[in-house]
Amino acid sequence: MVLISLGIEGTAHSFGAGIVSDDGQVKSNVWDMLTPSEGGIHPREASRHHSELGPLIIQKSIANAGIVPNDIDIVSFSRGPGLGPCLRTTATMARTLALRLNVPLIGVNHCVAHIEIGCLDSGFRDPVTVYVSGGNTQTIAFSGGRFRTFGETLDIAIGNMLDSFGRDVGMRFPAGPKIEMASLDASTFYELPYSVKGMDLSYSGLLTAARRLYSEGVAVSDICYSIQETAFGMLAEVAERALAHTKKDEILLTGGVAKNNRLTNILEGVAERHDAKFHRVSPTLAGDQGAMIAWTGILQYNAGDQIPIPDSHVLPKWRTDEQEIIWRA
Amino acid sequence: MRLNWKLMTLGAESRILHGVWNNQELILKIRPSKSYLIDTIDSMLRRSRTSRESRMLTYARSLGIPTPCVHWLDLEQCSIVMDFIEGDSLKNLVANLREEKLRIFCRAFGKLIASLHNGDAVHGDPTTSNVIVDRTEKLWLIDFGLSERNATIEMKGTDLHLIYRALETTHWKQQEVMLQSIIEGYSSLVGPQSNLILERMRDIRERGRYH
Repeated sequence: MVLISLGIEGTAHSFGAGIVSDDGQVKSNVWDMLTPSEGGIHPREASRHHSELGPLIIQKSIANAGIVPNDIDIVSFSRGPGLGPCLRTTATMARTLALRLNVPLIGVNHCVAHIEIGCLDSGFRDPVTVYVSGGNTQTIAFSGGRFRTFGETLDIAIGNMLDSFGRDVGMRFPAGPKIEMASLDASTFYELPYSVKGMDLSYSGLLTAARRLYSEGVAVSDICYSIQETAFGMLAEVAERALAHTKKDEILLTGGVAKNNRLTNILEGVAERHDAKFHRVSPTLAGDQGAMIAWTGILQYNAGDQIPIPDSHVLPKWRTDEQEIIWRA
Repeated sequence: MRLNWKLMTLGAESRILHGVWNNQELILKIRPSKSYLIDTIDSMLRRSRTSRESRMLTYARSLGIPTPCVHWLDLEQCSIVMDFIEGDSLKNLVANLREEKLRIFCRAFGKLIASLHNGDAVHGDPTTSNVIVDRTEKLWLIDFGLSERNATIEMKGTDLHLIYRALETTHWKQQEVMLQSIIEGYSSLVGPQSNLILERMRDIRERGRYH
């Protein structure tokens, strides 16, 4: 008998539901991303988006998997970290379903879920993970029973930096793919602040300088190219430092920004230099979605980790290294 | 210098080779080109870090911090020849030290960082891998490629934050004892300003996270 997990993700602007079985099959994975016509993401608007579309997305994920609600053995949800209103909306749906179906509830760490679905997708056992998205920029590796953050941004996330610049030059959200396209037409590289501190990095100075170039009339394609080369070069350096430090031999690239081909190409170069394997998580599993929550829920459940409903409050600031990774110990 | 160099370690950004000249053990540190970066960034990084490291090794010594002596600098090849320091990294020693000894080493480490900060410089990568303990139990600081001069409170706070991070990722079992002793040594030399810097360290730790 296989075990069927429903995973619900809703930490920020995306809401997703996925069905995964304990033999590692992703049976369905449905999501919708709030794309504001202008400006950034407001937590309240995002949570309204989740509460309006959530039930439909969950229904669709069940239908697409070819199962009925009673086939679901466990309900897993993204407990944190994330935006409070979004997390609470998502958690409410998960609790209701767990009660209604009378099945265990599993609280999953969003960042850990990105790593675990990446390991399922790649077959990697113990990678250095480069996790890059709108809200996160982290280099994570497993050590001493936990996933430890070896490096992260000291100010804004890489996706946030790309979106902010894109918004200034009239690109719609998400701007990353448009910046990648524009950079292909570049002819000149402009030096931008390259800021690496140990294994941490910083993108706010780079954003300010890129905005200045734009106000001075420099071609958008040249700025996009310069942003990419500088920002990704910094990521390559911290990934390389983490690899040398931990002596691991796999690099996993995940998160929404993993879709970028130039970043992939650069990290492949890092892996090659250190005789390490490299994997970029498949596009459907790279961004925020429910399958990663469902799969990590299975790993936790099999290791005896489930959460009573009264204790299932959300954890907006849940750090990656706060959770004991009992299924890997 | 025509010497027989033997590869000792392949670091994140450099190759470390060991050689002997006139009965003296030397290190050749080369920052090779990285094909996955565009040339402009690659050569900017290699040159600036090699030059920075060479200058800071000397500057730090002028502040009383034991560092290997620089014998040769080549900004074309991006290489430095310096003294080889016989010993083991603090990183490798930690697990086998008694708490009392660990505290002594960590206090000394904190003092070295304090001396650097008192000279308005930061190390930039102050992990326990970059501290060498020699046979006489003297501590040496190495690897100054990310160091900076004219340091502000923010830069010093970042340096301490990086120490904190290194402890929680690499020495989680001894984390508290180590942090406490490092701060003890650090504050004893920096004086009252250390409170301001420590407060900044805690601020920096909270940034870049979801709120």
